[in-house]
Amino acid sequence: MLSQLKQLEDVKDQFQKCVRCGLCRSVCPIFKEDRRETTAPRGKVFLTQMLSSGEIEPGSKVSDKLSMCLLCESCSSECPSGIEVHKLVILARSMVSEKCPSLTNQLIFKKIWTKPQLLNRCVGLLRAGQSFGLLNIGYKMGFLPKSSGLLGQLPGRPARYALPETFPAITKQRARVGYFLGCATNYMFPEVAYSTVKVLSYLGCEVVIPKNTNCCGLPQMANGELATGQQLAAHNLEIFSQAEVEALICDCASCSATLSHSRDGDLPVYDAVSYIMQQLQPDFENRRKINKAITYHDPCHLAKAQKITTQPRQLLQMLPGIEYREMPGAGDCCGGAGTFVIKNFDMSMRILDRKIANIKDTGAELVATCCPTCTMQLSYGLSRHGLNVEVAHPLELLAESLGL
Amino acid sequence: MLLNQPLKQKLLELLSPEQVLTDELDLKFYSYDSSFHAKLNRFFPEAVVFPRSTQEVSAVMRLAYEHNISVTPRGAGTGETCGCVAVQGGIIMDLSPWDTIEEVDVANMQVFVRPGVVHANLNTHLEKYGLFFPPDPGSSRMCTVGGMVSNNSSGLRAVKYGTTEQYILGLEVVLPNGDVIITGGQNSRAIKNVSGMNLTKLFVGAEGTLGVITKIRLRVWPKPKGRGLAMAVFDNLEEAPQAVLDVYRGGILPSGIEILDDSAIKAINMYKPEINLPNAEAILLFEVDGNPAGVEWEGQQIKEIVSRRAIKVEWATEPERIKSLWQGRSVVATAAARIRPDGSRIFAGEDISVPLNKVTECLRRIKKMAKEYGVAVVNYGHIGDGNVHTAPVINLDNQAEVEQVKKLTDAIHRLAIELGGATTGEHGVGAVRACYATAEHGEALKVMHRIKHTLDPTGIMNPGKLLPPEGDDYSA
Ligand SMILES: Cc1cc2nc3c(=O)[nH]c(=O)nc-3n(C[C@H](O)[C@H](O)[C@H](O)COP(=O)(O)OP(=O)(O)OC[C@H]3O[C@@H](n4cnc5c(N)ncnc54)[C@H](O)[C@@H]3O)c2cc1C
Ligand code: SF4
Ligand code: SF4
Repeated sequence: MLSQLKQLEDVKDQFQKCVRCGLCRSVCPIFKEDRRETTAPRGKVFLTQMLSSGEIEPGSKVSDKLSMCLLCESCSSECPSGIEVHKLVILARSMVSEKCPSLTNQLIFKKIWTKPQLLNRCVGLLRAGQSFGLLNIGYKMGFLPKSSGLLGQLPGRPARYALPETFPAITKQRARVGYFLGCATNYMFPEVAYSTVKVLSYLGCEVVIPKNTNCCGLPQMANGELATGQQLAAHNLEIFSQAEVEALICDCASCSATLSHSRDGDLPVYDAVSYIMQQLQPDFENRRKINKAITYHDPCHLAKAQKITTQPRQLLQMLPGIEYREMPGAGDCCGGAGTFVIKNFDMSMRILDRKIANIKDTGAELVATCCPTCTMQLSYGLSRHGLNVEVAHPLELLAESLGL
Repeated sequence: MLLNQPLKQKLLELLSPEQVLTDELDLKFYSYDSSFHAKLNRFFPEAVVFPRSTQEVSAVMRLAYEHNISVTPRGAGTGETCGCVAVQGGIIMDLSPWDTIEEVDVANMQVFVRPGVVHANLNTHLEKYGLFFPPDPGSSRMCTVGGMVSNNSSGLRAVKYGTTEQYILGLEVVLPNGDVIITGGQNSRAIKNVSGMNLTKLFVGAEGTLGVITKIRLRVWPKPKGRGLAMAVFDNLEEAPQAVLDVYRGGILPSGIEILDDSAIKAINMYKPEINLPNAEAILLFEVDGNPAGVEWEGQQIKEIVSRRAIKVEWATEPERIKSLWQGRSVVATAAARIRPDGSRIFAGEDISVPLNKVTECLRRIKKMAKEYGVAVVNYGHIGDGNVHTAPVINLDNQAEVEQVKKLTDAIHRLAIELGGATTGEHGVGAVRACYATAEHGEALKVMHRIKHTLDPTGIMNPGKLLPPEGDDYSA
């Protein structure tokens, strides 16, 4: 459980249990590129062990090594000894950040990203900067990171402003569910939020969208501010428990992974696609046709962290008019991983290039995926390679097919 | 001699900066492989290099030779014997990133690969041509072909397909002084070849003590189209090895025969309850491959023969069912740790090989010894060729347990010699089993030392491995 992680010392049995078999070398996207033991998951277990025992001191070198992890869980989900390498990395980052605090990190992840209004203002400034072309200039002059191009053009209005606190079921009510609006969906892909809510409502859900939710907590946990992230996750879960909903639905794989792995109460947390396919079972007869060749990219936080791979494919394959094409390496990470691409742009692009080549191989016109950061990363990669391929959330396609 | 700063600088002149590591923190990551020995001890190299051509390997070796610096070749570091760890410092030469499959010569049924190619990746590539490289270590997804050649690795299917050495047609080797040779005929693409001394076999299984393997000419085989698996359950351990002999006597050569004893069954069920193996004293898995009709016939024969001793036999040919029956065997190596919540599986005393008619006695005695030393063990292995894997599971923080397990593994190695077997069937000697060499090889050890001395007169090539220091006699 993410909520129970405290310090490296508490998980030291994991260091001993790692038999150093190296199986994790075969699945780590970073190791695939770098090929050095210093970036292998097995190496990270060793690094965290040395850190925990005091054999090495936290510092910038250690921090650089720890930053070479996407928290994609590929290693953890394969390890026969049950080592959760990604959690060791989270704990180690937290330890390093406690012992050698980074002011920038604290400002971004503790001060700004925990206060929705402040975050709103910052995103507003960013949007204005984009409109006046300042970001472009900043990038060209080297003030801004290479990854700033990933943002694309920020949409005009976050989803939060358009969504009511309660959205009624527009067919016979079958459930009352909570919808968690994650930061990336809110600011970058409001259309995904509208599609999710409309589809849920069409399929008989009263959807509760509380105003006072916060970031899910993952960016904080991933960037050394573990306790802050845990508080945010707990705060969000508490709000939905009080809202008396039967289930909490997220259309972002990272949010659903974080919240479902942080919950200690009874409220079930679902990825939106799997909830819809399992519990609401839409019928596809006489629906609008989407005449496109489509492939699917598995977000790590859905496929590895939550073992959800079949429902999104089922949904896509059932949509009328679609020609579904499975892509080779569909489960391989796209290299985005939230803030990873900002800190490690070149490595991120190397991983992304493999993904884009696989997408290209399918000849698909559209890639569907269930995670907004994957969507950003894939869109960026596709345009970098000059490919005219759209990226969409499966629920956007479902909403279109249902005529919503 | 230790690597000093000017020499590190020289390495940087031979290779690009990304190909050399000298930072203290980076070097720590090269202090281990999968062995228990490397868990208990730390052996740090003074530099790690990643050459990407024969010329680069040769240049580094020449430098090392001139300055008397040890060089330890390394693949994926999945060995169990500290073989790829720099136990005497010096340079680690990590060849795992050099993973080009240079040519698949379908017409001549052979492939040319660089040492870093991962075994499973090679077979995935060969599948396109309907071919495969048969030896199949449990570490297939991670180990390199260079490591396999150097350890003469094998796996589940050694019963029928043998070990790596049977597939090596030729090698390119950089000798300790930097000279480059090609064994098996310098331009040869022949499969059969008895011309000259068999130098290829000298380097196979030499564990990187005679030179660095930079290119491998491998024989490949047509991939069988059919495959089936029989799972037999026994309520008496003695019956299992007997059933194996019955099958051989019945004129059938399965591709693999694996045993899981009660401890292994328990570990697998604790690791993945959904595998749900029946509680029994032993389970045997017989794999048959070949043409589909033959596979079915052999499977039915095995079922009939083994049913005389087993309480239950299941025969499957559907890929999904085979996968689920195999699942237990494929995870047992690391799942062993599950038998104790505070326990860790260690790789020590894990690979003895005994004559087929001694397998039952061997398993019984290992269990008895483990009890006497108070160490929990899980036993499994390639029973078809007498290769027994014992996985001790201990609490590594408990020094008393660590001491006990050292005694147990020593006793297991000595048991193997006593029973007319070998201290290692496939994992190799490395730094951990050299001490049994005198007892195992007697006078022949002197010849090994002479060969080593001829090829590596200054002893820079992976020192401290395979052979005990000359003159040492541990046999007592
Ligand atoms: C879970 C698990 C299961 C395993 N199952 C099996 C099994 O079923 N059968 C089996 O035989 N083994 C098995 N092994 C052991 C191990 O995987 C094999 O010995 C493997 O071949 C080692 O390959 P590697 O690339 O990891 O080599 P390393 O461990 O890196 O090196 C092994 C030895 O080869 C030398 N070496 C490596 N590359 C070269 C080169 N290019 N030139 C010269 N010397 C070189 C090294 O110096 C060292 O002495 C298993 C290991 C694990 C962890
Ligand atoms: S983390 Fe797991 S898979 Fe990786 S080396 Fe350790 S035991 Fe093996
Ligand atoms: S979580 Fe992903 S990136 Fe991080 S070590 Fe594991 S496999 Fe590699």
